[in-house]
Amino acid sequence: MKPLKILAAFAMALLMLVPASLFASSHREAPITALDHSADVTDWYAFVSYDNSDKVTMILNVDPFLEPSNGPNYFPFDPNVLYQMKIDNNRDGVEDITFEFRFTTEIRLPDVFTGFVGGLYSIPPITSLDGAGSEGLSLRQHYTVTMVKNGQHIVLNNGQTLYALPTNVGPRTMPDYNSLFPQAIYDLGNGVKVFAGTVDDPFYIDLGAAFDSLNFRMGVGGVMSEQEDNDDKDNFASDAVAGFNVNSIVLEVPITMLTRDGKKHMANDPDAVIGTYGATSRQKLSVRRDPNALPFVQVQREGNPLINELIIGTGSKDTFSISDPVNDSQFANFVLDPLLAQLFASLGIPVPPPPRNDLLLLVQYEPPICPGCGPNDTGPVADLLRLNTGIPATPVDQQKRLGFLVGDNAGFPNGRRLIDDAVDIASRAVGGILVDPVKYGTRIGDGVNINDSGYGATFPYVQPAHSGRDSHHIGPGQVGCSGQPGGVCPIN
Amino acid sequence: MKKLAALVLMIVSVAAAFAQTTATAEPKLSPAQQSTAVARKLIDKNPKNYEAYNALALALSRRARETSDVKLYTEAEAALQKSFEISPANFDGERIHVWLLLGKHEFAAALQEATKLNKRMPDDVMVYGFLTDANVELGNYKDAEAACQRMLDLRTGNLPGVTRAAYLRELFGDIEGALDLMNMAFQSTPPTQVEDAAWILTQMAHLNLAIGNLDKSEKLLRQALVMFPGYHYALGNLAKVRIQQKRYGEAVELLQERYEAAPHAENLYDLAEALQLAGRTGEAKKAFTGFEQKSLLETNQGDNSNHELIFYYADHANEPAKALEVAKREIARRHDTFTLDAYAWALYSNGQYAEARKQMEMALAVGIRNAKMFGHAGEIALKTGDKPAAERYLRQAAELNTLGSEQAGATLAKLQADPNIAR
Repeated sequence: MKPLKILAAFAMALLMLVPASLFASSHREAPITALDHSADVTDWYAFVSYDNSDKVTMILNVDPFLEPSNGPNYFPFDPNVLYQMKIDNNRDGVEDITFEFRFTTEIRLPDVFTGFVGGLYSIPPITSLDGAGSEGLSLRQHYTVTMVKNGQHIVLNNGQTLYALPTNVGPRTMPDYNSLFPQAIYDLGNGVKVFAGTVDDPFYIDLGAAFDSLNFRMGVGGVMSEQEDNDDKDNFASDAVAGFNVNSIVLEVPITMLTRDGKKHMANDPDAVIGTYGATSRQKLSVRRDPNALPFVQVQREGNPLINELIIGTGSKDTFSISDPVNDSQFANFVLDPLLAQLFASLGIPVPPPPRNDLLLLVQYEPPICPGCGPNDTGPVADLLRLNTGIPATPVDQQKRLGFLVGDNAGFPNGRRLIDDAVDIASRAVGGILVDPVKYGTRIGDGVNINDSGYGATFPYVQPAHSGRDSHHIGPGQVGCSGQPGGVCPIN
Repeated sequence: MKKLAALVLMIVSVAAAFAQTTATAEPKLSPAQQSTAVARKLIDKNPKNYEAYNALALALSRRARETSDVKLYTEAEAALQKSFEISPANFDGERIHVWLLLGKHEFAAALQEATKLNKRMPDDVMVYGFLTDANVELGNYKDAEAACQRMLDLRTGNLPGVTRAAYLRELFGDIEGALDLMNMAFQSTPPTQVEDAAWILTQMAHLNLAIGNLDKSEKLLRQALVMFPGYHYALGNLAKVRIQQKRYGEAVELLQERYEAAPHAENLYDLAEALQLAGRTGEAKKAFTGFEQKSLLETNQGDNSNHELIFYYADHANEPAKALEVAKREIARRHDTFTLDAYAWALYSNGQYAEARKQMEMALAVGIRNAKMFGHAGEIALKTGDKPAAERYLRQAAELNTLGSEQAGATLAKLQADPNIAR
């Protein structure tokens, strides 16, 4: 054996390994996470539950651009990653409550060299996550949910084994995938529900155009017409995330579990507002085994969508990813004078001059998200997705993709729902719409207004994964843009 | 510049993945083949794109790992040369240069170049990986450990750091700890990277075999071979399992298959030994002769098979003087645990027992738990008259219950039955 020949070759290949996907929301923003796809937080959502305004739903999506057909093991969660949902409830930028998720993989059919098999020989199709009908789940994952509060770790599983939903392999292996989906929803008691599994990626964006220096497509051109902008049902450009899956953890908890005093508050009460973010961590390792458990260190985080990608400078992205939000004042200059605003200006879009104090509402506790917050309540600069739990959910049929910007106060940047058009809202916020909606209210947008699979109206809100056998994507020149003549997405 | 380089590599990877997911009618290309094809297309599109040449060099060197075809390193070097012609001393190109030096076993030069790069870019994880590799092969284990730890500290859980740490743990004798890390690496490897995953499975099989877990080892290797059919590293390790199971005929077949895929001198040596065990003496002799000729052609190069050549002269050809001559040449280049073991064995074969003992102790000082090496240490200690040490080493070898354990156990039994066997 020639250890080096092997080791060095392996190392280089992995070091240079960049997963088959990049960019999108936070789908590929930092060099470190480009080396660590399973710990890559793609999107973080937190909103008052649509069907129960006494509860909050949080969604942590990780591992971007999962190609549905990509077997044989598909997309398990990484058992080495600690997935976390963190909540600050006293406006100091530090988490007071954390929900932690750890996954365990079992290989039930060690002689079968694919993760899932069914409808073959003596193995029946997969129709269940456990018991009869689950025989073909060679690779199966279960997980624990733990709440960390006041230094105490409380396991919330309630004695149940929680199985993660596998991806949709195809109709022979999983003939009724939609019936598998709800089996992965668990009621943990005390008003808590959880779901984990591979799902349709709800994020939507014309990625290629966005990263070609905002070179948006014909008919959209970076500035949308009023008609296009008011259309929340149709896409005018291709959604680069269409047809891809993502790994998702969804948790619904009563608001009273999250607030500092365990009570629900009116919207104008500062205590109604929580700051949230999703994070992934890995255990610190040493070459020599350490008998004491080594701490976990953060790999990636997300509070507001697109902050790391659109605001933070390239040289600071890794530092941002591994830093705690409470220390974000070091990045304040990126917020106060964003490069993206300069880019807009270079394209002839009017933007306010720096310093952009208007953007601080994204990173501090301020009105209008926290109408009851005075100057002493702002807390430190911290990239947290702030949610006013006193503002009830907007009924599904009245929700607007532009959320808070168009009077749908239950939408981003008051928390974030799946429907919220993070690209258009964040771009317009950077463009200055919060300063003066007339002067700086340019309808900046990518022309992608809706997710290809839509959204669920109830828990877990995410939609089932795309079928591996029948997967396809939507690109420029292909059918898939309902807002365009013939449904054909524009190329130029 | 760094960002642009990353972008090119991303494009290569994305396009490669796209090719993988869409090219259903064509035979599935390996990850390295896909990356090579995409890099060549980028070059065709823009012959002045030095990052594309870097990507090509990397893809070719990765293909070298997949196929064990070292000629690909030469092609990779040519691609890298083009990159430097377009953009002299570009950092990514320099990193690939070090990587190629390591591939050619030019460890001292690689260490020198990696040290320079480390000064130029102090927080580059990859460069710490190179420092780890070069120091490991040169036997500078403290420096290797420090560099590897720095990798782990800089980027928690990065796979190249984890797998290197696993190898260091193996060298330090913590095989179970090495398995923990390899398992962790496997769980975190993207499913599309079939060769990476197969490589990790093969390493896990190797570690299991080293501590006598034959069944586990075999299962892992079967899994690796399904994931990456015909994988030469997996074939070689499965042959070891078969030898331990005394299924010599099957071992021969596997090693023949490996040698056809990767016709290197060291692979021919393994085949010759298996043929001998299978009782196919004539074929074994022919294979040993072929090995010697092939090995001598590369004996003065960095990427040589001198370890096998030393053991061939000492154990099969009855030419101890030649064994020592080769061993002295190799020990002048590096003093890692495996070279020290081979050197000690060559000294032993020439009757220089005291010096052999000294070198053997140095070989084991790193902490390695290797049955064959413990067996050598036992035999050497026996000749120096240190019966307690001999017993201790032989017992350690026997207890590992792997290749070399049976022979050590037999010597131990003889020693215990007849204490005068010591000299």
